[in-house]
Amino acid sequence: MAGGMDLGDSGGKGKKKPLDTAINLVPFIDLMAVTISFLIMTAVWTQIGRLQVQQAGGPSDPNQEQTEQKTVPLTLLITEKELKLTAGGSAVDPMPLVSVDKGGKKKLDLIKLTAKLKELKAQLADQWPSQITLQTEDGVNYEVLVQVIDECMGAGLPNVTVSPAMG
Amino acid sequence: MPIVTPGFRYGKRLSKSRIFGGHGPGKKGTYADLLITPLVDMFVIIVLFLIANFSATGEVLSMSKDVVLPEASNVKEVDMVPVVMVTMPNKDDPTSGQVVLSGSVIGNVADLSKEDVLNIPALEEKLREMKKQYEDLRALANSADGFKGDVNIQADKGVKFRILKRVMFSCATAGYNNINFATLQVAGASEPPKAAAAPAAP
Repeated sequence: MAGGMDLGDSGGKGKKKPLDTAINLVPFIDLMAVTISFLIMTAVWTQIGRLQVQQAGGPSDPNQEQTEQKTVPLTLLITEKELKLTAGGSAVDPMPLVSVDKGGKKKLDLIKLTAKLKELKAQLADQWPSQITLQTEDGVNYEVLVQVIDECMGAGLPNVTVSPAMG
Repeated sequence: MPIVTPGFRYGKRLSKSRIFGGHGPGKKGTYADLLITPLVDMFVIIVLFLIANFSATGEVLSMSKDVVLPEASNVKEVDMVPVVMVTMPNKDDPTSGQVVLSGSVIGNVADLSKEDVLNIPALEEKLREMKKQYEDLRALANSADGFKGDVNIQADKGVKFRILKRVMFSCATAGYNNINFATLQVAGASEPPKAAAAPAAP
């Protein structure tokens, strides 16, 4: 046999089994088809998550209160048009909530809030709290509230307290 | 003259041609081998993709066409807890917005917006019932797991805080203090940094 694979039919003394055995793929394909059907039927296509918040006046951990005494309290007032951040006793300039892009389309703008929180985090260092209170006005949409909570959590404030705005 | 098999054949001139010099348009072999390798490859890729996207918790929150959830990235996984759904009124029917607790309608958003009280008595009562049922079942099963007071609020992104605060207040009054806002998880989502101290269970 010149250059080819020995297939065992060259007429040797011991009868060798042929090497070109075919694997039976039919059961494998059946298994695949069943698995795919099961996975498609049980698939959850929309990924839903949750943002955990606390309510002002709700139960809180006393240990947390002790640690929070050393930190600066953060409060964010959310109105329909702007955000007013207060760190300790000092208020930061109000940040407009909606910006207009080049096409004249209005969109929610939280870049300034993110930047301000980052700046404050760098300034306060050890005094940076884990909690922020969001005082929300009645006219604020759920979407705006969720986006602000998301930004706060992303900025290292995992304990978000939501309360209605006073006055 | 040689004896030849009867049938159609090309002329003598083409008898030495590589293409037409054979036996004419004979029958094709009946044994057609199907190429299974690409099929198996495709199946393997689909299975891997589906397994990667498989959610062990299943669909905890049912998506309704009346509720469009806002997007967020720093989210946690949703648990099986009572769900308060707040839908947005349609443009055609301003009274269609509803507050729904685990499938049963509690009230109309338009009516609730007019009232000045802070709680929603029907929601509060229903939640208290659910809490009692949960605690009774746990007592029967002698389970050590206490009531954690978790509730999911699944509201349309256009719902005003005016309604949300009433829902939240009612939940808290009924003993459900750990409020979770349902959101759509956007790409690049990650677990939020862990709290310094976990919120206390009621």
